[in-house]
Amino acid sequence: MKATPAKRAEITDLPKLGLGLGLRNTHFDHILNHWPDVDWFEAISENFMDSGGRPRQVIRKVAERYPVVLHGVSLSIGSSDPLDMDYLQRLKLLAQEVQPQWISDHLCWTGVMGLNSHDLLPVPLTEATLDHIAARVLRVQEILDRPLILENPSTYLDFRANTLSEPEFLRALCERTDCGLLLDVNNVFVTCFNTENDPSDYFDSFPWNRVVQMHLAGHTDCGTHLIDTHDQPVRPEVWALFSLAWKRSNGAATLLEWDGNIPSFGECHQELLKAKAYMNGGTAQLSGKYVPVPGALAVSNPVNFLVPDVMAGSAELEDR
Amino acid sequence: MQAALIEPQATSNQEIERRVRSTSRLSAATALGIYQNSYRLRIAACMRDQFPALCYALGEGLFNDFVAEYIRQAPPESYTLYDLGRRFAGFLQANRPDLDAPVPELWVDFIIDLARFERQIFSTFDCAGAEGLHLAQQTTRDSDLCVQPSLSLAAYGFPVGDYYHAVRQEKSPRPPDRERVYLAVLRKDYVTHTIPVSFAHFVFLQEMCRGGTVGSALSAVSQQLSQDLAQVEKAWNEVSEIRDSWINAGFFLDRSRA
Ligand SMILES: [Fe+2]
Repeated sequence: MKATPAKRAEITDLPKLGLGLGLRNTHFDHILNHWPDVDWFEAISENFMDSGGRPRQVIRKVAERYPVVLHGVSLSIGSSDPLDMDYLQRLKLLAQEVQPQWISDHLCWTGVMGLNSHDLLPVPLTEATLDHIAARVLRVQEILDRPLILENPSTYLDFRANTLSEPEFLRALCERTDCGLLLDVNNVFVTCFNTENDPSDYFDSFPWNRVVQMHLAGHTDCGTHLIDTHDQPVRPEVWALFSLAWKRSNGAATLLEWDGNIPSFGECHQELLKAKAYMNGGTAQLSGKYVPVPGALAVSNPVNFLVPDVMAGSAELEDR
Repeated sequence: MQAALIEPQATSNQEIERRVRSTSRLSAATALGIYQNSYRLRIAACMRDQFPALCYALGEGLFNDFVAEYIRQAPPESYTLYDLGRRFAGFLQANRPDLDAPVPELWVDFIIDLARFERQIFSTFDCAGAEGLHLAQQTTRDSDLCVQPSLSLAAYGFPVGDYYHAVRQEKSPRPPDRERVYLAVLRKDYVTHTIPVSFAHFVFLQEMCRGGTVGSALSAVSQQLSQDLAQVEKAWNEVSEIRDSWINAGFFLDRSRA
Protein backbone atom coordinates (compact mmCIF):
# COMPACT_ATOMS: atom_id res chain seq x y z
CA MET A 1 0.00 0.00 0.00
CA LYS A 2 1.25 3.47 -0.84
CA ALA A 3 1.79 5.83 2.06
CA THR A 4 -0.15 9.06 1.70
CA PRO A 5 2.30 11.94 1.65
CA ALA A 6 2.00 14.30 4.60
CA LYS A 7 -0.28 17.17 3.69
CA ARG A 8 1.55 20.39 2.96
CA ALA A 9 0.61 23.38 5.09
CA GLU A 10 -1.86 25.77 3.53
CA ILE A 11 -1.79 29.47 4.02
CA THR A 12 -4.96 29.36 6.07
CA ASP A 13 -3.01 27.28 8.63
CA LEU A 14 -0.41 30.01 9.08
CA PRO A 15 -0.52 31.88 12.39
CA LYS A 16 -1.29 35.52 13.11
CA LEU A 17 2.06 36.40 14.64
CA GLY A 18 1.34 39.93 15.85
CA LEU A 19 3.97 42.68 15.58
CA GLY A 20 7.50 41.75 14.54
CA LEU A 21 10.85 43.32 13.67
CA GLY A 22 13.60 42.55 11.18
CA LEU A 23 16.56 40.65 12.64
CA ARG A 24 19.44 43.05 11.92
CA ASN A 25 23.16 42.65 12.75
CA THR A 26 23.29 45.98 14.54
CA HIS A 27 20.71 44.68 17.03
CA PHE A 28 22.24 41.25 17.70
CA ASP A 29 23.83 42.17 21.01
CA HIS A 30 20.74 43.91 22.27
CA ILE A 31 18.51 40.97 21.39
CA LEU A 32 20.78 38.34 22.93
CA ASN A 33 21.30 40.38 26.10
CA HIS A 34 17.71 41.49 26.69
CA TRP A 35 15.43 39.05 24.87
CA PRO A 36 13.06 41.94 24.15
CA ASP A 37 9.32 41.58 24.22
CA VAL A 38 8.77 41.39 20.45
CA ASP A 39 6.21 38.97 18.99
CA TRP A 40 8.41 37.62 16.21
CA PHE A 41 11.40 38.26 13.92
CA GLU A 42 11.88 38.29 10.18
CA ALA A 43 15.35 37.38 8.88
CA ILE A 44 16.69 38.13 5.40
CA SER A 45 17.44 34.60 4.18
CA GLU A 46 20.54 35.57 2.18
CA ASN A 47 22.17 37.16 5.22
CA PHE A 48 22.04 33.89 7.12
CA MET A 49 22.01 30.99 4.66
CA ASP A 50 25.75 31.04 3.91
CA SER A 51 26.87 32.30 7.28
CA GLY A 52 29.39 30.19 9.15
CA GLY A 53 29.87 32.95 11.70
CA ARG A 54 27.91 34.99 14.15
CA PRO A 55 24.71 35.59 12.12
CA ARG A 56 24.12 31.84 11.94
CA GLN A 57 24.68 31.44 15.66
CA VAL A 58 22.36 34.35 16.43
CA ILE A 59 19.49 33.17 14.24
CA ARG A 60 19.66 29.72 15.84
CA LYS A 61 19.37 31.25 19.30
CA VAL A 62 16.62 33.65 18.26
CA ALA A 63 14.65 30.83 16.63
CA GLU A 64 14.69 28.94 19.93
CA ARG A 65 12.77 31.76 21.60
CA TYR A 66 10.72 33.55 18.96
CA PRO A 67 8.71 32.66 15.87
CA VAL A 68 10.92 33.41 12.88
CA VAL A 69 10.07 34.07 9.24
CA LEU A 70 12.56 33.87 6.36
CA HIS A 71 12.33 36.69 3.86
CA GLY A 72 14.39 36.41 0.66
CA VAL A 73 15.54 38.87 -1.96
CA SER A 74 17.24 36.62 -4.51
CA LEU A 75 14.74 33.98 -5.57
CA SER A 76 14.12 36.00 -8.75
CA ILE A 77 10.82 34.28 -9.38
CA GLY A 78 10.15 36.48 -12.44
CA SER A 79 13.47 35.83 -14.19
CA SER A 80 13.76 33.99 -17.49
CA ASP A 81 16.84 32.16 -16.16
CA PRO A 82 16.30 28.70 -14.71
CA LEU A 83 15.60 28.61 -10.97
CA ASP A 84 18.82 28.61 -8.96
CA MET A 85 18.76 25.14 -7.42
CA ASP A 86 21.86 25.76 -5.34
CA TYR A 87 20.17 28.78 -3.80
CA LEU A 88 16.96 26.85 -3.15
CA GLN A 89 18.83 23.99 -1.49
CA ARG A 90 20.68 26.38 0.81
CA LEU A 91 17.41 28.10 1.65
CA LYS A 92 15.87 24.74 2.42
CA LEU A 93 18.78 23.82 4.71
CA LEU A 94 18.43 27.08 6.61
CA ALA A 95 14.69 26.45 6.90
CA GLN A 96 15.33 22.98 8.31
CA GLU A 97 17.57 24.57 10.88
CA VAL A 98 15.42 27.48 12.05
CA GLN A 99 11.93 26.10 11.24
CA PRO A 100 10.44 29.37 10.00
CA GLN A 101 6.71 29.99 10.11
CA TRP A 102 6.91 30.69 6.40
CA ILE A 103 9.28 31.70 3.61
CA SER A 104 8.68 34.78 1.51
CA ASP A 105 10.24 36.60 -1.42
CA HIS A 106 9.15 39.22 -3.95
CA LEU A 107 7.15 39.41 -7.15
CA CYS A 108 10.17 40.54 -9.17
CA TRP A 109 13.28 39.48 -10.99
CA THR A 110 16.80 40.34 -9.91
CA GLY A 111 18.71 39.51 -13.09
CA VAL A 112 18.95 37.40 -16.24
CA MET A 113 21.77 35.60 -18.03
CA GLY A 114 23.46 34.72 -14.79
CA LEU A 115 23.73 38.28 -13.52
CA ASN A 116 22.26 39.78 -10.39
CA SER A 117 21.43 43.47 -10.13
CA HIS A 118 20.68 43.11 -6.43
CA ASP A 119 17.49 45.01 -7.01
CA LEU A 120 13.84 43.94 -7.08
CA LEU A 121 13.02 44.69 -10.71
CA PRO A 122 9.40 44.92 -11.88
CA VAL A 123 7.86 42.19 -14.03
CA PRO A 124 5.55 43.00 -16.95
CA LEU A 125 2.05 42.33 -15.64
CA THR A 126 0.76 40.19 -18.52
CA GLU A 127 -0.85 36.78 -19.02
CA ALA A 128 2.42 35.45 -20.43
CA THR A 129 4.37 36.51 -17.35
CA LEU A 130 1.64 35.08 -15.18
CA ASP A 131 1.98 31.66 -16.87
CA HIS A 132 5.73 31.78 -16.47
CA ILE A 133 5.73 32.83 -12.82
CA ALA A 134 2.90 30.51 -11.80
CA ALA A 135 4.87 27.53 -13.11
CA ARG A 136 7.93 28.63 -11.17
CA VAL A 137 5.98 29.23 -7.95
CA LEU A 138 4.60 25.69 -8.17
CA ARG A 139 8.11 24.32 -8.62
CA VAL A 140 9.51 26.34 -5.70
CA GLN A 141 6.66 25.22 -3.46
CA GLU A 142 7.39 21.65 -4.41
CA ILE A 143 11.08 22.01 -3.58
CA LEU A 144 10.53 23.85 -0.31
CA ASP A 145 7.50 21.73 0.48
CA ARG A 146 5.54 24.69 1.74
CA PRO A 147 3.53 27.56 0.29
CA LEU A 148 5.59 30.47 -0.99
CA ILE A 149 4.61 33.92 0.23
CA LEU A 150 5.17 36.71 -2.31
CA GLU A 151 5.48 40.42 -1.67
CA ASN A 152 4.40 43.32 -3.85
CA PRO A 153 7.59 45.32 -4.58
CA SER A 154 7.99 49.08 -4.81
CA THR A 155 8.02 50.04 -8.45
CA TYR A 156 9.25 53.13 -10.19
CA LEU A 157 8.03 52.45 -13.69
CA ASP A 158 5.04 51.12 -15.53
CA PHE A 159 5.51 48.88 -18.57
CA ARG A 160 3.42 49.71 -21.62
CA ALA A 161 2.94 45.97 -22.06
CA ASN A 162 1.04 45.64 -18.76
CA THR A 163 -2.46 44.27 -19.23
CA LEU A 164 -3.22 43.45 -15.59
CA SER A 165 -3.06 45.55 -12.47
CA GLU A 166 -0.76 44.28 -9.72
CA PRO A 167 -3.68 43.15 -7.51
CA GLU A 168 -5.24 41.32 -10.47
CA PHE A 169 -1.94 39.65 -11.25
CA LEU A 170 -1.40 38.58 -7.63
CA ARG A 171 -4.98 37.32 -7.31
CA ALA A 172 -4.59 35.16 -10.40
CA LEU A 173 -1.23 33.90 -9.20
CA CYS A 174 -2.73 32.87 -5.86
CA GLU A 175 -5.62 31.12 -7.55
CA ARG A 176 -3.29 29.11 -9.75
CA THR A 177 -0.66 28.21 -7.17
CA ASP A 178 -2.20 28.55 -3.70
CA CYS A 179 0.67 30.79 -2.73
CA GLY A 180 0.22 33.44 -0.06
CA LEU A 181 0.88 37.16 -0.09
CA LEU A 182 2.98 39.56 1.89
CA LEU A 183 1.34 42.94 1.48
CA ASP A 184 3.85 45.74 1.87
CA VAL A 185 1.64 48.68 2.72
CA ASN A 186 4.41 51.19 2.13
CA ASN A 187 5.15 49.64 -1.27
CA VAL A 188 1.48 50.04 -2.22
CA PHE A 189 1.73 53.72 -1.39
CA VAL A 190 5.07 54.17 -3.20
CA THR A 191 4.06 52.21 -6.30
CA CYS A 192 0.68 53.89 -6.58
CA PHE A 193 2.27 57.32 -6.28
CA ASN A 194 4.95 56.53 -8.87
CA THR A 195 2.56 54.95 -11.37
CA GLU A 196 -0.28 57.41 -10.69
CA ASN A 197 -2.72 54.92 -9.28
CA ASP A 198 -4.98 55.23 -6.29
CA PRO A 199 -4.06 53.13 -3.22
CA SER A 200 -7.74 52.74 -2.36
CA ASP A 201 -8.42 51.19 -5.78
CA TYR A 202 -5.42 48.93 -5.19
CA PHE A 203 -6.85 47.87 -1.83
CA ASP A 204 -10.35 47.38 -3.25
CA SER A 205 -9.12 44.87 -5.80
CA PHE A 206 -6.54 43.14 -3.58
CA PRO A 207 -7.08 39.45 -2.70
CA TRP A 208 -7.13 39.99 1.08
CA ASN A 209 -7.91 36.39 1.91
CA ARG A 210 -4.41 35.45 0.70
CA VAL A 211 -2.54 37.90 2.95
CA VAL A 212 -0.32 36.15 5.47
CA GLN A 213 1.92 39.03 6.39
CA MET A 214 2.28 42.80 6.03
CA HIS A 215 5.26 45.14 5.90
CA LEU A 216 5.51 48.68 7.15
CA ALA A 217 8.43 50.95 6.31
CA GLY A 218 9.46 54.54 5.71
CA HIS A 219 10.07 55.98 2.27
CA THR A 220 11.71 59.11 0.89
CA ASP A 221 9.81 61.79 -0.99
CA CYS A 222 11.84 62.99 -3.98
CA GLY A 223 9.14 65.36 -5.23
CA THR A 224 8.40 63.74 -8.57
CA HIS A 225 8.56 60.25 -7.12
CA LEU A 226 8.85 58.29 -3.90
CA ILE A 227 11.71 55.92 -3.11
CA ASP A 228 11.40 52.96 -0.82
CA THR A 229 14.40 53.67 1.40
CA HIS A 230 13.49 51.93 4.69
CA ASP A 231 15.55 54.53 6.50
CA GLN A 232 13.02 56.55 8.45
CA PRO A 233 9.74 56.36 10.36
CA VAL A 234 6.55 55.25 8.67
CA ARG A 235 4.74 58.15 6.99
CA PRO A 236 1.30 59.22 8.25
CA GLU A 237 -0.35 58.32 4.92
CA VAL A 238 1.06 54.82 5.20
CA TRP A 239 -0.19 54.45 8.77
CA ALA A 240 -3.63 55.39 7.52
CA LEU A 241 -3.43 52.68 4.87
CA PHE A 242 -2.19 50.21 7.47
CA SER A 243 -5.24 50.89 9.56
CA LEU A 244 -7.43 49.75 6.66
CA ALA A 245 -5.12 46.87 5.80
CA TRP A 246 -5.17 45.55 9.37
CA LYS A 247 -8.95 45.28 9.21
CA ARG A 248 -9.13 43.84 5.73
CA SER A 249 -6.40 41.28 6.33
CA ASN A 250 -8.01 40.28 9.58
CA GLY A 251 -4.93 41.17 11.59
CA ALA A 252 -2.18 39.57 9.49
CA ALA A 253 1.33 39.31 11.00
CA THR A 254 2.86 42.77 10.72
CA LEU A 255 6.50 43.68 10.45
CA LEU A 256 8.39 46.98 10.49
CA GLU A 257 11.34 47.15 8.08
CA TRP A 258 14.16 49.55 8.92
CA ASP A 259 17.31 48.99 6.88
CA GLY A 260 19.18 52.24 6.45
CA ASN A 261 20.42 54.53 9.28
CA ILE A 262 19.08 51.86 11.62
CA PRO A 263 18.33 53.39 15.03
CA SER A 264 18.60 51.54 18.33
CA PHE A 265 16.50 48.46 18.88
CA GLY A 266 14.35 50.42 21.33
CA GLU A 267 13.56 53.09 18.76
CA CYS A 268 12.63 50.54 16.09
CA HIS A 269 10.43 48.78 18.61
CA GLN A 270 8.71 52.05 19.58
CA GLU A 271 7.99 52.76 15.92
CA LEU A 272 6.56 49.27 15.51
CA LEU A 273 4.33 49.61 18.56
CA LYS A 274 2.72 52.71 17.04
CA ALA A 275 0.88 50.17 14.91
CA LYS A 276 -1.31 49.36 17.91
CA ALA A 277 -2.89 52.80 17.75
CA TYR A 278 -3.95 52.17 14.16
CA MET A 279 -5.34 48.69 14.61
CA ASN A 280 -8.73 49.70 15.92
CA GLY A 281 -8.94 53.38 15.34
CA GLY A 282 -8.85 54.17 11.64
CA THR A 283 -6.69 57.24 11.19
CA ALA A 284 -5.66 57.33 14.81
CA GLN A 285 -3.59 59.99 16.50
CA LEU A 286 0.00 60.44 15.48
CA SER A 287 2.35 60.53 18.37
CA GLY A 288 5.59 62.46 18.10
CA LYS A 289 6.74 64.82 15.42
CA TYR A 290 7.33 63.59 11.93
CA VAL A 291 10.59 64.80 10.45
CA PRO A 292 11.18 63.71 6.87
CA VAL A 293 14.71 62.81 5.86
CA PRO A 294 15.89 64.79 2.83
CA GLY A 295 15.99 62.62 -0.26
CA ALA A 296 18.54 64.14 -2.59
CA LEU A 297 20.51 60.92 -3.00
CA ALA A 298 17.89 58.43 -1.96
CA VAL A 299 18.77 54.86 -2.89
CA SER A 300 16.02 52.31 -2.87
CA ASN A 301 16.81 49.78 -0.20
CA PRO A 302 14.29 47.07 -0.91
CA VAL A 303 15.33 44.94 2.03
CA ASN A 304 18.66 45.49 3.56
CA PHE A 305 20.53 44.93 0.35
CA LEU A 306 23.53 46.61 1.85
CA VAL A 307 25.90 44.05 3.22
CA PRO A 308 24.45 43.48 6.61
CA ASP A 309 27.24 44.91 8.69
CA VAL A 310 29.12 41.69 9.22
CA MET A 311 32.14 43.92 9.51
CA ALA A 312 30.58 45.51 12.56
CA GLY A 313 31.96 42.45 14.35
CA SER A 314 35.15 42.98 16.31
CA ALA A 315 38.47 42.82 14.56
CA GLU A 316 41.82 42.97 16.30
CA LEU A 317 45.41 43.34 15.26
CA GLU A 318 47.82 41.42 17.44
CA ASP A 319 51.13 42.93 18.46
CA ARG A 320 54.18 41.67 16.72
CA MET B 1 16.07 46.38 -18.79
CA GLN B 2 19.12 44.66 -17.34
CA ALA B 3 21.25 45.95 -20.20
CA ALA B 4 19.97 49.43 -19.37
CA LEU B 5 21.16 49.01 -15.78
CA ILE B 6 24.62 47.76 -16.65
CA GLU B 7 25.26 50.01 -19.67
CA PRO B 8 23.00 53.06 -19.21
CA GLN B 9 24.52 54.89 -22.18
CA ALA B 10 23.78 52.04 -24.55
CA THR B 11 19.99 52.32 -24.27
CA SER B 12 18.23 54.79 -26.54
CA ASN B 13 15.44 57.03 -25.30
CA GLN B 14 13.27 55.73 -28.12
CA GLU B 15 13.68 52.18 -26.93
CA ILE B 16 12.81 53.20 -23.37
CA GLU B 17 9.73 55.14 -24.55
CA ARG B 18 8.58 52.12 -26.50
CA ARG B 19 8.52 49.96 -23.38
CA VAL B 20 7.89 52.26 -20.44
CA ARG B 21 4.92 54.53 -19.91
CA SER B 22 5.64 58.13 -18.94
CA THR B 23 3.53 59.71 -16.22
CA SER B 24 2.63 63.33 -15.69
CA ARG B 25 5.58 63.64 -13.30
CA LEU B 26 8.12 61.16 -14.66
CA SER B 27 9.26 60.56 -18.20
CA ALA B 28 10.01 56.97 -19.13
CA ALA B 29 13.74 57.69 -19.14
CA THR B 30 13.62 59.33 -15.71
CA ALA B 31 11.70 56.40 -14.30
CA LEU B 32 14.27 53.96 -15.65
CA GLY B 33 16.95 56.32 -14.36
CA ILE B 34 15.75 55.69 -10.81
CA TYR B 35 16.72 52.03 -11.20
CA GLN B 36 19.98 52.89 -12.95
CA ASN B 37 21.01 55.27 -10.18
CA SER B 38 20.00 52.94 -7.40
CA TYR B 39 21.94 50.07 -8.95
CA ARG B 40 25.12 52.12 -9.16
CA LEU B 41 24.79 53.71 -5.73
CA ARG B 42 23.75 50.53 -3.96
CA ILE B 43 26.67 48.51 -5.30
CA ALA B 44 29.10 51.32 -4.49
CA ALA B 45 27.76 51.57 -0.92
CA CYS B 46 28.08 47.86 -0.50
CA MET B 47 31.65 47.84 -1.80
CA ARG B 48 32.55 50.70 0.56
CA ASP B 49 31.34 48.49 3.40
CA GLN B 50 33.49 45.61 2.21
CA PHE B 51 36.60 47.72 1.50
CA PRO B 52 36.56 50.53 4.08
CA ALA B 53 40.35 50.98 4.19
CA LEU B 54 40.71 50.99 0.42
CA CYS B 55 37.92 53.55 0.21
CA TYR B 56 39.74 55.67 2.76
CA ALA B 57 43.05 55.30 0.88
CA LEU B 58 41.61 56.25 -2.51
CA GLY B 59 39.03 58.74 -1.32
CA GLU B 60 35.36 58.00 -1.89
CA GLY B 61 35.16 59.60 -5.35
CA LEU B 62 38.02 57.63 -6.88
CA PHE B 63 36.94 54.47 -5.08
CA ASN B 64 33.43 54.78 -6.54
CA ASP B 65 34.93 55.31 -10.01
CA PHE B 66 36.93 52.09 -9.70
CA VAL B 67 33.83 50.26 -8.53
CA ALA B 68 31.74 51.61 -11.42
CA GLU B 69 34.30 50.30 -13.91
CA TYR B 70 34.61 47.04 -11.96
CA ILE B 71 30.91 46.23 -12.12
CA ARG B 72 30.77 47.31 -15.74
CA GLN B 73 33.48 44.78 -16.56
CA ALA B 74 32.36 42.16 -14.07
CA PRO B 75 28.67 42.61 -13.19
CA PRO B 76 27.54 40.81 -10.02
CA GLU B 77 26.75 37.14 -10.61
CA SER B 78 25.93 35.74 -7.24
CA TYR B 79 22.68 35.78 -5.28
CA THR B 80 24.67 37.06 -2.32
CA LEU B 81 26.23 40.47 -1.91
CA TYR B 82 29.06 38.87 0.04
CA ASP B 83 30.43 37.80 -3.33
CA LEU B 84 30.54 41.32 -4.69
CA GLY B 85 34.18 42.04 -3.80
CA ARG B 86 35.59 38.62 -4.68
CA ARG B 87 37.11 39.69 -8.00
CA PHE B 88 37.97 43.27 -7.06
CA ALA B 89 41.69 42.84 -6.34
CA GLY B 90 42.03 40.84 -9.57
CA PHE B 91 40.23 43.61 -11.45
CA LEU B 92 42.59 46.24 -10.02
CA GLN B 93 45.60 44.10 -10.93
CA ALA B 94 44.35 43.60 -14.51
CA ASN B 95 43.53 47.28 -14.92
CA ARG B 96 46.59 48.80 -13.23
CA PRO B 97 46.90 52.44 -14.24
CA ASP B 98 50.72 52.01 -14.39
CA LEU B 99 50.81 49.24 -16.99
CA ASP B 100 52.96 51.37 -19.32
CA ALA B 101 55.33 52.57 -16.62
CA PRO B 102 58.85 51.04 -16.56
CA VAL B 103 58.50 50.07 -12.91
CA PRO B 104 55.30 49.38 -10.97
CA GLU B 105 54.15 52.38 -9.01
CA LEU B 106 54.15 52.10 -5.26
CA TRP B 107 50.59 53.35 -4.68
CA VAL B 108 49.18 50.94 -7.24
CA ASP B 109 50.92 47.99 -5.60
CA PHE B 110 49.60 49.23 -2.27
CA ILE B 111 45.93 49.49 -3.26
CA ILE B 112 46.00 46.03 -4.84
CA ASP B 113 47.52 44.55 -1.68
CA LEU B 114 45.02 46.41 0.47
CA ALA B 115 42.13 45.10 -1.65
CA ARG B 116 43.47 41.55 -1.27
CA PHE B 117 43.79 41.95 2.47
CA GLU B 118 40.32 43.43 2.89
CA ARG B 119 38.85 40.52 0.98
CA GLN B 120 40.81 38.12 3.21
CA ILE B 121 39.50 39.75 6.36
CA PHE B 122 35.93 40.24 5.07
CA SER B 123 35.72 36.55 4.21
CA THR B 124 36.89 35.63 7.68
CA PHE B 125 34.07 37.45 9.46
CA ASP B 126 31.41 35.05 8.26
CA CYS B 127 33.17 31.91 6.97
CA ALA B 128 33.06 28.54 8.71
CA GLY B 129 34.97 28.84 11.98
CA ALA B 130 36.10 26.98 15.05
CA GLU B 131 33.20 28.06 17.24
CA GLY B 132 31.59 24.87 18.45
CA LEU B 133 34.67 22.77 17.57
CA HIS B 134 37.46 21.55 19.85
CA LEU B 135 40.39 23.93 19.78
CA ALA B 136 43.75 22.39 20.55
CA GLN B 137 45.23 22.84 24.02
CA GLN B 138 48.86 23.02 25.14
CA THR B 139 48.67 19.30 25.93
CA THR B 140 47.47 18.33 22.45
CA ARG B 141 50.06 16.16 20.69
CA ASP B 142 51.67 17.52 17.52
CA SER B 143 50.22 14.65 15.52
CA ASP B 144 46.71 15.78 16.53
CA LEU B 145 47.12 19.40 15.48
CA CYS B 146 45.26 20.61 12.41
CA VAL B 147 44.35 24.16 11.43
CA GLN B 148 40.96 25.54 12.27
CA PRO B 149 38.58 26.34 9.35
CA SER B 150 38.82 30.14 9.37
CA LEU B 151 42.64 30.42 9.36
CA SER B 152 44.15 31.89 6.20
CA LEU B 153 47.65 33.12 5.37
CA ALA B 154 48.82 35.68 2.85
CA ALA B 155 51.97 37.58 1.95
CA TYR B 156 51.88 41.31 1.24
CA GLY B 157 54.31 43.95 0.09
CA PHE B 158 52.99 46.52 2.58
CA PRO B 159 51.92 46.48 6.24
CA VAL B 160 48.27 46.36 5.16
CA GLY B 161 47.11 44.92 8.49
CA ASP B 162 48.37 47.93 10.45
CA TYR B 163 46.88 50.27 7.88
CA TYR B 164 43.49 48.56 7.86
CA HIS B 165 43.17 48.48 11.62
CA ALA B 166 44.29 52.11 11.89
CA VAL B 167 41.50 53.10 9.47
CA ARG B 168 38.93 51.15 11.43
CA GLN B 169 40.08 52.92 14.59
CA GLU B 170 39.75 56.25 12.76
CA LYS B 171 43.44 57.06 13.16
CA SER B 172 43.76 58.53 9.64
CA PRO B 173 46.93 56.61 8.66
CA ARG B 174 49.23 57.77 5.86
CA PRO B 175 50.04 55.38 3.01
CA PRO B 176 52.88 53.12 4.21
CA ASP B 177 56.23 52.35 2.59
CA ARG B 178 57.00 48.98 1.11
CA GLU B 179 57.59 46.24 3.64
CA ARG B 180 57.26 42.50 3.19
CA VAL B 181 54.69 41.17 5.67
CA TYR B 182 53.05 37.80 6.25
CA LEU B 183 49.63 37.87 7.86
CA ALA B 184 47.61 35.14 9.48
CA VAL B 185 43.90 35.97 9.78
CA LEU B 186 41.49 33.90 11.80
CA ARG B 187 38.30 34.12 13.82
CA LYS B 188 38.02 32.95 17.39
CA ASP B 189 34.83 33.36 19.44
CA TYR B 190 33.47 35.54 16.63
CA VAL B 191 36.33 38.02 16.88
CA THR B 192 38.52 38.31 13.78
CA HIS B 193 42.26 38.58 14.48
CA THR B 194 45.13 39.66 12.23
CA ILE B 195 48.43 38.19 13.35
CA PRO B 196 51.75 39.11 11.70
CA VAL B 197 54.09 36.12 11.36
CA SER B 198 57.64 35.59 10.07
CA PHE B 199 58.42 34.06 6.67
CA ALA B 200 59.33 30.71 8.24
CA HIS B 201 56.07 30.68 10.19
CA PHE B 202 54.19 31.64 7.05
CA VAL B 203 55.65 28.65 5.21
CA PHE B 204 54.82 26.37 8.13
CA LEU B 205 51.25 27.55 8.52
CA GLN B 206 50.56 27.63 4.82
CA GLU B 207 51.57 23.99 4.55
CA MET B 208 49.24 23.17 7.42
CA CYS B 209 46.42 25.11 5.76
CA ARG B 210 46.90 22.86 2.74
CA GLY B 211 46.07 19.94 4.99
CA GLY B 212 49.64 19.22 6.06
CA THR B 213 50.82 17.89 9.41
CA VAL B 214 53.35 19.42 11.78
CA GLY B 215 55.87 17.01 10.22
CA SER B 216 55.22 18.01 6.63
CA ALA B 217 55.10 21.69 7.64
CA LEU B 218 58.57 21.41 9.23
CA SER B 219 59.85 19.76 6.03
CA ALA B 220 58.41 22.63 3.99
CA VAL B 221 60.24 25.12 6.21
CA SER B 222 63.48 23.19 5.89
CA GLN B 223 63.18 23.14 2.09
CA GLN B 224 62.11 26.73 1.55
CA LEU B 225 64.67 28.18 3.95
CA SER B 226 67.37 25.69 2.88
CA GLN B 227 67.93 24.59 6.43
CA ASP B 228 68.70 21.22 7.81
CA LEU B 229 65.47 19.39 8.71
CA ALA B 230 66.90 18.10 12.00
CA GLN B 231 67.74 21.66 12.95
CA VAL B 232 64.24 22.90 12.10
CA GLU B 233 62.64 20.08 14.10
CA LYS B 234 64.91 20.81 17.02
CA ALA B 235 63.94 24.48 16.96
CA TRP B 236 60.23 23.56 16.91
CA ASN B 237 60.61 21.24 19.89
CA GLU B 238 62.87 23.48 21.94
CA VAL B 239 61.20 26.84 21.41
CA SER B 240 57.69 26.10 22.58
CA GLU B 241 56.56 29.77 22.82
CA ILE B 242 55.53 29.88 19.19
CA ARG B 243 53.51 26.70 19.43
CA ASP B 244 51.94 27.88 22.69
CA SER B 245 51.02 31.30 21.36
CA TRP B 246 49.46 29.86 18.23
CA ILE B 247 47.45 27.41 20.27
CA ASN B 248 46.29 30.22 22.56
CA ALA B 249 45.34 32.32 19.57
CA GLY B 250 43.15 29.47 18.30
CA PHE B 251 45.12 28.44 15.19
CA PHE B 252 44.61 24.73 15.69
CA LEU B 253 41.94 22.15 16.35
CA ASP B 254 42.54 18.93 18.22
CA ARG B 255 42.00 16.26 15.58
CA SER B 256 41.59 13.53 18.19
CA ARG B 257 38.51 15.24 19.66
CA ALA B 258 36.79 15.91 16.33
FE1 LIG C 1 8.83 44.99 2.13
